[in-house]
Amino acid sequence: MSELAQLQLIALAIVLFGILILLFIQSNFFRVTGFVSIVLGLFSLMSLAVPQMASLPPADEAIDIASIKTPTDIAALGQTIFFSKGQCALCHSIGPSESARCPDLKGIGAKLTKAFLYESLTDPQAFIYQDYRHGGVPKEYPATMPSIDKDPIGLSKNEILAVIAFLQQMSGEPISVSLSELEIPGQGAPASVAGEESAPLTVAQAN
Amino acid sequence: MRQGKRMIQRAIHVGGARSGWLAALLLTASWLALPAIGLAAEGATAGPTEYRDIPYIGSRNMIWIVAQLHLLLAGFVLGVPIFAWLCEVIAWKGGEQRYDKLAKEFTKLLTSAYATTALFGGILLFLLIVFYPKLMNYLTDIFFPSFLVYCLLFLFETATLYLYWYGWDAMQHGGKKTLHIFLGFLLNFFAIFIMIVPNAWATFQSSPVVISEGTAIERAWAATWNPTWWPINIHRLIANVVLGGYICGAYAGVRYLSAKSTEDREHYDWMGYVGNFIGVFGLLALPFAGYWLMREIYQYNQQMGITLMGGFLSWLFIIQAMLIGVLFLGSNYYFWLGITYRIPGSESKYRKPILWMLVSLLLCLAVWMTPHSLVASIEEAQKMGGAHHPLLGVLGVMSAKMTVSNLMILITFMSFVMYWRAGKQDAAPWAKLAKAVMGAVLVLASLAVIVLGVWGYFVPAIVRINYFSTSQVLIVIFVILTITPLTALLLKSAKTTTEMVWGRMPPRAGYALVLNAIMVILLMALMGYARSSSRVHWHVYGVMRDTSPYAYSPALGSASLIMVFCTFFFCLLVAFIFWVATMGDKAKGAQGTVKKELPHGIPAIAGGAPDHGQL
Repeated sequence: MSELAQLQLIALAIVLFGILILLFIQSNFFRVTGFVSIVLGLFSLMSLAVPQMASLPPADEAIDIASIKTPTDIAALGQTIFFSKGQCALCHSIGPSESARCPDLKGIGAKLTKAFLYESLTDPQAFIYQDYRHGGVPKEYPATMPSIDKDPIGLSKNEILAVIAFLQQMSGEPISVSLSELEIPGQGAPASVAGEESAPLTVAQAN
Repeated sequence: MRQGKRMIQRAIHVGGARSGWLAALLLTASWLALPAIGLAAEGATAGPTEYRDIPYIGSRNMIWIVAQLHLLLAGFVLGVPIFAWLCEVIAWKGGEQRYDKLAKEFTKLLTSAYATTALFGGILLFLLIVFYPKLMNYLTDIFFPSFLVYCLLFLFETATLYLYWYGWDAMQHGGKKTLHIFLGFLLNFFAIFIMIVPNAWATFQSSPVVISEGTAIERAWAATWNPTWWPINIHRLIANVVLGGYICGAYAGVRYLSAKSTEDREHYDWMGYVGNFIGVFGLLALPFAGYWLMREIYQYNQQMGITLMGGFLSWLFIIQAMLIGVLFLGSNYYFWLGITYRIPGSESKYRKPILWMLVSLLLCLAVWMTPHSLVASIEEAQKMGGAHHPLLGVLGVMSAKMTVSNLMILITFMSFVMYWRAGKQDAAPWAKLAKAVMGAVLVLASLAVIVLGVWGYFVPAIVRINYFSTSQVLIVIFVILTITPLTALLLKSAKTTTEMVWGRMPPRAGYALVLNAIMVILLMALMGYARSSSRVHWHVYGVMRDTSPYAYSPALGSASLIMVFCTFFFCLLVAFIFWVATMGDKAKGAQGTVKKELPHGIPAIAGGAPDHGQL
């Protein structure tokens, strides 16, 4: 029996307990207790009927640097980060969306250079991208982009480069992030993109 | 370990005939010793201990339950004095002594409720120090000045509570009554500060402001004045009034169901009405405070806001809408029952409006419960044709939800006005004009709320949030502030055609009052889980990461069972507090009967409630 089914059985037992009290006990205090049991059991059943999603912490997984052979591998890693630890998809859409709170990222890899993308991710207030979707005077987007190399998202330099590679690949551009730019644990930092400090090569994936 | 095993075997062997008894004792002892094993294992590692655990239940669940119970008790202890003080002021100003008696009846609960709350607070503190030493060290470093303030506040609160309760009968007349009212004010003043000081610690965890420079007081002050501190303060203050009112209602409901005499039925029926009224009074303002809190969360951190409203907690808000909907329905239902049973002859007159109100409330609830941004699987999204359902997605947005929540508040307010006016005939010459004005205000306001709601679809979110939603709230407040004094003025000169008859409500009215209280308690438990889960895997969001094995938020279903346990246990605790507080009265009642029979009577029990006009 699955865990969900077990929990549903417990909730159902709480409801049945309440029904039994109402059926067989005359004392008003206990009848009210039975009524409360039914209400609480129904609440639990309702909560168990909706999709069950737990929030798991991102697990730090060391990446085997040797397994990344091509820029496409870096972009594949970036795609995972984009939809998980990076939380980019919470606000950004890929393709036009009226309800998106932040700029559409479709084609962004073709419009902006690697260095500009890196700065937009780590120092997002340097240049503010405005909303031109509604005509008239451009407006600021309601959401403020966080510096994603800082907590609570806290992507490492390698992870940011991987996201940039994904954005470029998604825009049909050649990936300009090279393997030599990635940092290997225990070795000196490679050439800097925007003067960032080095960080160990780890990637976090939401389980 | 082997040595331990041998010792146990030897002990059992030596025990002979008593081996079963000894084995049970040893098993109990070893179960109790398990946490110590856990502690020792942690302590053996290098560096200071960060976490400790307890077997079976788990440290996080233990903290969760105790913290939730403490919070619910604290809400009760802070809500009841507000409720009692309001009743005392009504009696003082209006001269209706039954309000004073009601205030006293509830203040009587405070001493035992206060002790129970403090007990759970103490247990929570010890558990936090034991299970989360790293976090507690960090919080102590930042907040120790406010810890000291908190202790002082407790001293003031305790002294004021004793004076307020034990001085009730001694300070009944003239200037002394004024002093007593002032003591009640002081009691609430300290109680509010007792609430807002720890609110700073809790909100700091969600929206921390950390400065590394300055004195300890400057750092503590910066951390205290974090972005969600005041929204939570206001939200909890109103919620405590709601909790106090509805618990009073539930108590009255239970007593009403068991009442034998007509006098008791009348009294508890009236008490239920007062409790429900104060609960509704607070409930009308609560969604505004909740909206402000969510707005501040979004402004502080977009990710946190989306985690709450569109991420893994999105279904929670559908359950929340259901609970609030049931609460609104329950409160209105109680008003409607009141019109039907307490005011004979009103049933036929108000049947149609009641039916319309019920249908409108259900429609509003249906819109409020419509999901919008939900985490869907790829298959589900493909079936829906996108993240939003093509038919329902349009009703699931905030513009629609804000509109229906405002309309539900308006409907509930009108239910109350209807109840207030039932059984009375206007006598003022300007009554027709006043009624026309009130009708026009209500219709125009409802239309304005709906128009703003629809318009909200066509403007950027920032315009809707900052201007449209705020305007909707202001319109509803305007309606309440216009119609309430106008109705009061009209009723001053109105003739009473049908006297209110207390004690005639059917048993389902008592159950409706209990249901309302359960909804409020469940809502508090549910939103506590939401607020805590919005921090995801952080003790202090973005500053101190939770590295314990419990750094995850459980799914809503399993969390709901803990909420159910907390609600049930809290209800039992409150029932116990009521029972303990009224035990002396029962003894006195029995003594009173004996006194009547005996020529000289017998001395009163020491420590009993100082009661002259016990109901």
